[in-house]
Amino acid sequence: MIVKCAWMYHDIMDLYGDKGNIMTLTKRAKERGIEFQVTTVGIGQQADLSDFDLVFMGGGADKEQAVLIPDLLSRKENIQKALDENTFFLLICGGYQLFGQYYETADHEKIEGLKFADYYTATGKAKSRCIGNIIIDARLDDQTLRLVGFENHGGQTQNVAHPLGKVVHGYGNSFDAGYEGYYDGHILGTYLHGPLLPKNGQLADFILTKAIQKRNPDFTFDKLASIDQPWEEIARKALLDRWKLQDKPEIS
Amino acid sequence: MSKLSILAAKTSFSLLSLIGRGGSLPGTIALKVDPQSLNKLKFRGPVILVTGTNGKTSTANMISSLFEKAGKKVVSNRKGDNLKAGITAALLQNAKGDGTIDADVVVLEVDELNIRHILPFLPVSMLVVNNFFRDQLDRAREMEQLIESIENVLPEFKGTLVLNGNDPNTVRLALKAPKAKALYFGLDKNQYSFQESKEASEGKFCPRCNTKLEYDYYQYSHIGRFHCPNCGFETPKLDVQLDAIDLNRQTFHYGGHKFQGPYEGMYSMYNYAAVLTAAQKYNLPLSAFEKMLKDAPHPAGRNERFEKGSKEVVLNLVKNPTGANEVMKVIERDGTRKAVVIVLNDREQDGTDVSWIYDTQFEKFMNPQTIGVICSGTRAGDMALRMYYGNYAGDLSVEPGIEAAVHQALDKSDTVYVVATYTALLPSRKAIKKELNV
Repeated sequence: MIVKCAWMYHDIMDLYGDKGNIMTLTKRAKERGIEFQVTTVGIGQQADLSDFDLVFMGGGADKEQAVLIPDLLSRKENIQKALDENTFFLLICGGYQLFGQYYETADHEKIEGLKFADYYTATGKAKSRCIGNIIIDARLDDQTLRLVGFENHGGQTQNVAHPLGKVVHGYGNSFDAGYEGYYDGHILGTYLHGPLLPKNGQLADFILTKAIQKRNPDFTFDKLASIDQPWEEIARKALLDRWKLQDKPEIS
Repeated sequence: MSKLSILAAKTSFSLLSLIGRGGSLPGTIALKVDPQSLNKLKFRGPVILVTGTNGKTSTANMISSLFEKAGKKVVSNRKGDNLKAGITAALLQNAKGDGTIDADVVVLEVDELNIRHILPFLPVSMLVVNNFFRDQLDRAREMEQLIESIENVLPEFKGTLVLNGNDPNTVRLALKAPKAKALYFGLDKNQYSFQESKEASEGKFCPRCNTKLEYDYYQYSHIGRFHCPNCGFETPKLDVQLDAIDLNRQTFHYGGHKFQGPYEGMYSMYNYAAVLTAAQKYNLPLSAFEKMLKDAPHPAGRNERFEKGSKEVVLNLVKNPTGANEVMKVIERDGTRKAVVIVLNDREQDGTDVSWIYDTQFEKFMNPQTIGVICSGTRAGDMALRMYYGNYAGDLSVEPGIEAAVHQALDKSDTVYVVATYTALLPSRKAIKKELNV
């Protein structure tokens, strides 16, 4: 089995170790005998995104992010085609913001988004950013997962119709939002760095499943063999213990 | 002149020294009494500021020592911190009653985000900027904002800028300083230069026109010979350029002389080049530079070696991906069988965001010669996950206690590398000394 992944703007949107997500997906696929094929897609590079099972985009600094906007907007039709054909999109931070209506930079410049969802991102108060460890309880189709990560964003994302999860500790989409990220079955957007996937192996497997389902609609999550490594539990516990939290979601 | 603030600081110094404290508190008190304390001071010689992400401490210390070897009296913040209060304290401690600093030269290491609080208030003769890298981004914000905070105070600066000519992030500062003179330092292409950079890098785009920069070669990270294919922004002609770099022998050539330095790694070569630029500007003899190198103290946690019998432990501090990548290269160059202990803490001074470990090439030592990796510290589990997802094939374990981690490593191998974040450095050193009984 092969999973084809497009890594968008890997050389620009690579803040906060987001490449760790690709490492995690690659390793967890390989452990199950699945080949995880990564193609990087940069500015001006020809690519049919509907050809891929998974598209990944991380976050970047404001200035660097601005450089890729024209290229991204020029791919809008192709991204729509990919969504229609069940390509799964994993978007972190800047990538998440750019799929909404617009986002406002720290200098109050309004940057047009792809408008695949109703949410938009306003700039926060000067010098205020949502920074710190974050824990959320996420609902993904028929399962719930407790996710741990690190957020670091000035942007305040509003009007999120389907949040990814409920904030247990931290900020989320905006100060006092109570909710974090966006998930609609095809697009998963989140502010969680850390990077996101190494400490959230089940989420990584969920994303792998969604990607595999593009070519194998009957494939299910439980067909992935469990992975035997103790490190994830230790890493999660180190954070969860700080707020006396259990390693299981409170929502059902 | 505000004698009061000087008096207040001096009084608090003597009081604090009685109770065994000091540091930046007298500066804080002086700034409370008179927020303008700094711009009322008088200087009888040059005032040199040193800033940048990596290497500012050793560069500032080397410049201080260089002037001392040339027979000058130097005042510096060597013992204090590099924020406004610490700098104020260091200066006021050496101020005479009329506010004159009792020194031929003042050399100050300044935190990058504090340049805007210092530069406009002192008669600065020279600003040395080593480099800008990602450094604990959760605290320092994005690098762009950091560089802009420095650019904002440069338009009226009339002194000399000493800039790393191989770092586009520092070269760009000259564009905002029309009244200043700029001197550039850097390295010639050498046996370690490479064509493609895989390391975390900043400043990929031209600061003038936003076009992607092209590199003739890289020395490390985004440091190298660059040019903008659109507007011509490029590595300028270098005023000080080091040749014949040998990282194993830690030697280099400058001005027809061969020098040997006390510090390892490519980044140290840039620090030497920065110091030589200051030497050139103030006409200090190369003999003073050579003496300075010879007597330089080995900084704690920079390839600090501990030996006992056949056992050897090497301790290194890591604080950001670029510095860490240079440490990885040092470990990679040592081909002996070894165990590695990584102590990853996430306290305030370490940076609470540990994602930088994914921008660090731990893969450099993931080879059969590294027989074991032991992860410790408050985020040991994250470190083990990093090694696991990096496909490390050797013996991987987590040991929360630093002493136990060092002990286990020494059981596995005679040669041990300990890599520690800021708050883990002293506990690591203590653990090593205890385990080796040295």
